Amino acid sequence: MKALRALTIANFRGYLRDRQALFWTLAFPLIFVVLFGLIFGGSSDQRSVAWVDEDQSAGSAQLRAAFASVPAVKLVDEDQQAALEAMQNGGVVGVIVVPAGYGATVAAAATDPTQQVAVTYYIDPSQQTSSAFMTAYVNGVLAQVNLGGKPVAVTSQPQTIQTTQLNAVSYLVPSILGMALMQTGIFAAIPLVADRQKLILKRLAATPLRRWQLIGSNVIMRLIIALVQFVLIVGVGVFVFDVKIVGSLVAIAFLAILGSLAFTSLGYVIATLAKTEDAANGMTSVVQFPLMFLSGTFFPIAAMPDALQTVARFLPLTYLSDALRQVMVGGTAYAPLAVCVAILAGWTVACFGFAARRFQWQ
Amino acid sequence: MATSVPSDPVIRVLEVRKSYGDIHAVDGVSFEVGRGEVFGLLGPNGAGKTTTVEMLEGLRQPDAGRLEILGLDAVHQPDELKERIGVTLQTAELYPKLTVVEVLDLFRSFYARTLPTDQLVDFLDLGERRKAQTRELSGGQRQRLAVALALVNDPEVVFLDEPTTGLDPAARRSLWDLIERLREQGKTILLTTHYMEEADHLCDRLAIMDHGRILEMGTGRELVDRRFHERAVRFDDLPQVADAELSALPSVTSVRHDDGSTFVYSRDIPATIGALLDTLDARGLEIDDLGVRKATLEDVFLELTGRALRD
Repeated sequence: MKALRALTIANFRGYLRDRQALFWTLAFPLIFVVLFGLIFGGSSDQRSVAWVDEDQSAGSAQLRAAFASVPAVKLVDEDQQAALEAMQNGGVVGVIVVPAGYGATVAAAATDPTQQVAVTYYIDPSQQTSSAFMTAYVNGVLAQVNLGGKPVAVTSQPQTIQTTQLNAVSYLVPSILGMALMQTGIFAAIPLVADRQKLILKRLAATPLRRWQLIGSNVIMRLIIALVQFVLIVGVGVFVFDVKIVGSLVAIAFLAILGSLAFTSLGYVIATLAKTEDAANGMTSVVQFPLMFLSGTFFPIAAMPDALQTVARFLPLTYLSDALRQVMVGGTAYAPLAVCVAILAGWTVACFGFAARRFQWQ
Repeated sequence: MATSVPSDPVIRVLEVRKSYGDIHAVDGVSFEVGRGEVFGLLGPNGAGKTTTVEMLEGLRQPDAGRLEILGLDAVHQPDELKERIGVTLQTAELYPKLTVVEVLDLFRSFYARTLPTDQLVDFLDLGERRKAQTRELSGGQRQRLAVALALVNDPEVVFLDEPTTGLDPAARRSLWDLIERLREQGKTILLTTHYMEEADHLCDRLAIMDHGRILEMGTGRELVDRRFHERAVRFDDLPQVADAELSALPSVTSVRHDDGSTFVYSRDIPATIGALLDTLDARGLEIDDLGVRKATLEDVFLELTGRALRD
């Protein structure tokens, strides 16, 4: 244990004194989050809200007028199905449904104070800004409508749905976390190959240090870096760009650890194949960039050309980022969560297995 | 072959072989090193010195033969062995971004029994550079650090592979002093070198290796005396004088040329020099830089392999 700890600390010192490694693993993903956050995070001046009127009475028309009087909102009349679809694909930020019988109940409430009717509105809690806006908008307008009659005749009833289209920042934060975990993992190859090339591994082999301690310290270090990335990226997403995390931290941490292991093991495969540090650098780039751009990091896989979609299906980062989006922000599944986990676990075992059999220590 | 055999051997190598494809890197090597001895493997690059040492260190597996250190089998008990030996490799580049003290402490964590870091730093005279990252060290300092790392577990047996290769003369001197101090501490040292002076200066006994075999073994004096009972008259080459004429001089045993010098080996130096000067006088030739030299390990090596021991 003493040796494992000392070696982990030594590796960390080397890492912290290596500006290039620090940049790629910590600064680079953060720059992405901030850049994309600034580009996509700003809200538009006017928001569209779908208006579903199932009552079609004078009362409901009056209510519509009240809602339409808010200048920042553009009401779009739809039937319920079309309205929810529009919300799914991001056309509107929310849906307001006026139930049948609304007009009659409001009229009755003038004489019978027990009469109440609820207006239903749909929000997606993962879209924090939009759902907060909808709640404030609906309740604000209803408060004015209710000013005339006491007690309150019209109440609001929120309904949550999960929308396909996350807003851009919510989509990007888990994707960039996945990308960062991928980079940290495959970059494990470079110091390992460098240590072999400088005969440090050989020198260590002449000490009582065991190989499992060497690999153990390497894995521990990658996991700690992954944790720091997690805190930084998610922290900036949540506190700067209002991304709402819906999943449990345990599930997210599990995925982050699994993803980190999967790509660290890929790093070991590179370390097994690369003879020199330069070759390892080249190979990490060759692996890194297709993973980064073809795994749905910056835009959904469904939006890519068919040929590239086929490629994406075989890339492990596709499943890590997809799983992270599902768990962190309630993103729509590209593959079921269990499949993602199984693919990442299988990938980890296969890569570790290959490296364990073929890695040359000297 | 050897006339002096250690009474208390701590290293035993018996009929060890190691091949890489068709190349017999080590081809039936046997030797023993006694407790407290400094033993050298002398030979050119590719002679099989490093392969031999790395088999003892547990870094390579022999194809055949036995390797024993401190009564432990290097093939089957490498873990026990590694606790008790110290090793330097030919390259001494270690964790460029860690400081001297950090690397020492890292290596100390690998062993059950260790010397204090400060003691190592002082012994290796690295005090001023203790907070320096290893990439900032000079070649000599780096090599001293490599030796310090070999000493962290206070080993009984120390292996030094080409400890002074690539060092300037001053740094080489300081490393020699260091090895002398280790000898005074009673450590058993096995070193490899292709510097004849180094082997001569440091080693109690040495083995001359070439092409994976040991050609001769013994103390430096023994090796020289066994082959050369004569001394040599040395002078700058004279193209006008044929080797046959030199060989015909009284008491001459052989003539050799090396690097612009002529060596005339003789059993009776004054007689040979007198006759040589008479011959040259008669032909009106002048002689430059005349001297008398004892035979050296270099001569032994030339005699054994037919080539000079240079890098």
